[in-house]
Amino acid sequence: MSDTGTDPTDQFEQPDDDGPRVEFYGGRGMSALPIGIFIVWAIVQTALWRIGDTGGLIVGILIGLIAGMFFVRGNWQSYANTIFEGMTQPVAVTAIVAWLWAGMFAQLLQDGGFVGGLVWLADTVGVGAALFPAITFVLAAVFTTGIGTGYGATVAFVGLFFPAGVLLGANPVLLFGAILSGAIFGDNLAPVSDTTIVSAVTQDADIGGVVASRFKYVIVAAIVAFLGYVAAGGAMTGLDVSAEAQAIFLEGSEAIGLIHIVSMLAVIGAAIAGRHIVEAISWGIVIAIAFNLVFGLASLGDMVMFNAPSDAPLAEPLESLPILTVVDNPDSVGVTGSLMTGVSGFLELSILVLLIIGAAQIMIRGGAFQVLLEWSIENLATNVRNAELTMVGSAALINAIITINTAAEVAIGPYISKIGERFNLNGYRRANILDGQTAALGYIFPWSGGVLAGFSAMQNLPGEYDWFEQSMVVTPIDVVPFVFQGWLLVAVFVLAALTGFGREYVIDRESEEVARV
Amino acid sequence: MSFFETYLKGWQFRANRPSLEVGSEIDVFVAESNGTSGTVYIGDTELVVDGAGAETVEKQVRVRVTEFDETTASGRGELLEVVGESSYSG
Repeated sequence: MSDTGTDPTDQFEQPDDDGPRVEFYGGRGMSALPIGIFIVWAIVQTALWRIGDTGGLIVGILIGLIAGMFFVRGNWQSYANTIFEGMTQPVAVTAIVAWLWAGMFAQLLQDGGFVGGLVWLADTVGVGAALFPAITFVLAAVFTTGIGTGYGATVAFVGLFFPAGVLLGANPVLLFGAILSGAIFGDNLAPVSDTTIVSAVTQDADIGGVVASRFKYVIVAAIVAFLGYVAAGGAMTGLDVSAEAQAIFLEGSEAIGLIHIVSMLAVIGAAIAGRHIVEAISWGIVIAIAFNLVFGLASLGDMVMFNAPSDAPLAEPLESLPILTVVDNPDSVGVTGSLMTGVSGFLELSILVLLIIGAAQIMIRGGAFQVLLEWSIENLATNVRNAELTMVGSAALINAIITINTAAEVAIGPYISKIGERFNLNGYRRANILDGQTAALGYIFPWSGGVLAGFSAMQNLPGEYDWFEQSMVVTPIDVVPFVFQGWLLVAVFVLAALTGFGREYVIDRESEEVARV
Repeated sequence: MSFFETYLKGWQFRANRPSLEVGSEIDVFVAESNGTSGTVYIGDTELVVDGAGAETVEKQVRVRVTEFDETTASGRGELLEVVGESSYSG
């Protein structure tokens, strides 16, 4: 997706025919040790100890990379060089650039009252307790589709829609499931979603075409999920909350925030029209900043603010600037605001993904990937139906294991490409199978990034509202069966593999050049 | 392809064994080779490509279909040129 002449076909390197470049004591399988250590670390940290800290995962992959080095046969320099080779792959940089742009855009919309506008709309239309989860699912889906980050949407919706729904009498577990389902929908479909981008780039497909071609799977799952939330919303009772606090429902919810639908549509329209993702989101950012300023939704200082110490040479003389504040507390020194918050949310994930790709490259150059592929192709992917089921199963498994679903997608992407190309499945079909499982499994299990993000946001609610008791917080394991969109999306792809629904071969249609987007 | 056509494309159940037209030229990935001819799988349809040596494995090649049997979903073709790489290849 770069305009700098990068060939998108060179996303991942494969060992040359003359054998693996990095040899390991214990055979080719040992090159999977760094990734293996990381996966065990991720399971222990996030599943067993429930610590959803991306920084901790960075340490896990670093230790994996260091441990792997001791098993290298011969020159260790080739091992180190391979890590660099992996980290400088276009796939990583492409995703990171998109995250930074999308992160700024998402935060501008959130700080510009977009979610508040959606709350206002739901209230104006008159949504009751039974329908609230279903409507929340739709709104979370629309929101996530616009901003592209399911984690951000989950946090925003748990902060705003969750207490409102609980107050209205909606079942909290179902409501949390509906929010996660909406996040899955958007994470899967949004052109600016990190997982959409990675799925397209690793399968050599243009993002606009990927979004259009996956619509059929997403919408089939979403219609059934919506009906599920309508039915379950009527059947599952809510908690007994005193009615007197219901006034908070509309607090901070103003119709004007809906103006950001225009910012959102600008990005979606530009991306689908084939504009470069950086250009598309930049237009969204410019429009969002203009709307925030013109309509008074957020000030310049809300969007970017320099907090300088009083002894800085030009701090006090320029204090009248709307983007400068002189602070006395040394801990308050720094740059804040929507743009900064939006970028900083992706910094740790960016580093983590670079290192995982470095470790994946070790696995590729060391031959473990080849061993895995040969085994799968020989034993599982024996015909096109089994190949697609293998793609669904392996993508789902890796994403169920690794907390950060984008990272899992980056690791499994080349593998999906390899199996799919063997049967000449086109880039769209491969990207859709890959991202369907990535989006779904990233929001189902208790250690999934999306669930952890929502659960963390929910922990703040008892402190924010007097009526919100600790017992109203949903335990992550309870929500697992109610993430309808996630389960249905996996089911749709299993059925699609079995029946051939939506299948396209390269002879039917080739995905367009990825650099277009 | 118009905006709406891209959304409507693929709403169908595609066969495991797609048919090929004799004389047509197709761009496909070569799965394996015995050194002198390569094997291409398009779903479960099998096409033997004369002239596709080991160097074409996992590359995208242009093939002219010379024979095709609907009942066995298998055929032969001749290699015209290498047109692309795998999205995962060196």
